[in-house]
Amino acid sequence: MQYKQKTSRRGFLDWLIGLCSAISGAAMTIPSLMYLWPAAQGGESSNVEVPGAENLSVGTSTKVQVGPRAVIVVRGRDGYVAFSAVCTHLGCLVRWDPGKKQFLCPCHAAAFDDKGQVVSGPPPGPLEPYKVKEVSGKVFVSSI
Amino acid sequence: MGWQRSFLGFFDARFDTDTGRKLVEKQVFKRLPPHTGWLHVFASLSLFLFISQTVTGILLLMYYRPTPEAAHKSIQYLTGEVQFGWLYRQVHAWGATLMIMALLLHMCRTYFMGAYKKPRELTWVTGVLLFIVTITFGFTGYLLPWNQIAFWATTVGTESAAKVPFIGHWLQYFLRGGDVVAGETLSRFFVVHVIILPWVLTGLVGLHLFLMRLNNLSSSKRVDESEEFPPETGIPFFPVHAAKEVSVLILLVAVLVTLSVLLPWEIGEPADPLSTPSHIKPEWYFLPSYQLLKYFEGPYGAFIGIIACTVPFVLLIVWPFVDRGKERHPRKRPLAVSIGLVGLVGALFLGWLGHVSETDINVFGQRYHIDLLGWPHKLADGEEGGGHDGAGGESAPGEH
Ligand code: HEM
Ligand code: FES
Repeated sequence: MQYKQKTSRRGFLDWLIGLCSAISGAAMTIPSLMYLWPAAQGGESSNVEVPGAENLSVGTSTKVQVGPRAVIVVRGRDGYVAFSAVCTHLGCLVRWDPGKKQFLCPCHAAAFDDKGQVVSGPPPGPLEPYKVKEVSGKVFVSSI
Repeated sequence: MGWQRSFLGFFDARFDTDTGRKLVEKQVFKRLPPHTGWLHVFASLSLFLFISQTVTGILLLMYYRPTPEAAHKSIQYLTGEVQFGWLYRQVHAWGATLMIMALLLHMCRTYFMGAYKKPRELTWVTGVLLFIVTITFGFTGYLLPWNQIAFWATTVGTESAAKVPFIGHWLQYFLRGGDVVAGETLSRFFVVHVIILPWVLTGLVGLHLFLMRLNNLSSSKRVDESEEFPPETGIPFFPVHAAKEVSVLILLVAVLVTLSVLLPWEIGEPADPLSTPSHIKPEWYFLPSYQLLKYFEGPYGAFIGIIACTVPFVLLIVWPFVDRGKERHPRKRPLAVSIGLVGLVGALFLGWLGHVSETDINVFGQRYHIDLLGWPHKLADGEEGGGHDGAGGESAPGEH
């Protein structure tokens, strides 16, 4: 009887030590996993000024970093348009071909029209559009 | 010799050195199975290359700086100004390629000789893990010079991770340390390349070698036959087999230095996150997966593509438990040998297609443009196939 009581007390202590170890383990693991999860990357993502946009001639383009992403801005006949320059296929950056009036991707030869729609190549979807604002001659872009 | 006796005597008086000495001697003079020969040296080549990578890697670390602003410049400084800096950079870069080649040869050797069979299944499994860790070394190390090709190859490579079913986007975000490849990515890859993977690989190599010694090398006998051999017919590891290994190692050092001098790796242009260069391709050992992924497009296709790239590795891991045939000798395992050959030739072919895709090649005086998917298109004299308006891309099946 006495013996039995002893083992059950010890069993309880064993169980308690196990539980406490598990809790401490979790308490150490969870913050370290959260630590590894990326924090937001820096950079403004709305109303970013496009440097030199006002000096672009009609039909040409420039690129600007908006938040972490590259955005391509084209000056059309009636104002500016902006798209994410990130090709929707595998993330290369498109360039603007003024002659063809298309965005071309150097990686797998994709082409997008001036509205960002896929003309040819492997991309699964159109280029993501960005909002453009002109304020007293300066050009600003923001994500939608 | 007097000083030697008193030196060892110091330890003998304090520790049980006999047991230690016996353990070492048992391993050093161990008898390997009678058929152990030149084909068995690829593994020690890999081991040597791993040691060489560690030494040259530590030397590179003395000057390398892992930030987007400093990385490329620090490598230029290292190769241009530091004495013999170019040599260590080249030996490290070529060492990576040779290490993967040596591992592939070692895997072929153990596969075709049936060395993965009972009781050595776990030796094989740790071996496949070693291979996966080694190519991860290659992937993370490639980014460190922070040049255009590396930056964009990493962008495309991590973009493919986004196609993993369900968790793809999280996985990509986690790998990049954010939405895009940037300084956060460089820090992560750096830590993985110089701290985490070396220790993982060291542990795995230790386990792999321990298991290998525990069961000795395999014979070519059936699994249900005894592998015992009369000790006097066995090949002593030292000095007989070790001599073979050292002679191949000397050759390897010569090859490493020759390649480093005659075919140096370029440093390239510094990374520019605002413009993608054309013709970005991954390292040769990723070319088969790179090419395979191209055949699977669209949301469901990408799913299947990623799975198609993962299956070969899963198959490798579980292979000893799938192939339970009792024979080890290749001539008595026609099915396993054929599967191995088909896999090998398939990977080589896909890799070659990946290599020539989007380039022009010359076959018996006729020029062809090889498109994205590897289809050849005849070119007229003087016509350029590259770029957007050539014969390539547009007319390939699967792209409409
Ligand atoms: C850093 C990487 C590696 C090192 C340093 C290494 C080292 C070695 C060494 C020294 C041996 C004994 C010599 C020999 O059998 O040729 C061995 C045996 C073995 N290795 Fe590896 N190895 C590596 C990777 C791999 C890989 C990738 C595989 C296969 C997927 C593999 C599978 C095996 C098997 C099955 C054996 C037993 C061979 C036998 O019993 O004949 N190893 N390894
Ligand atoms: S990344 Fe643009 S076409 Fe593939």
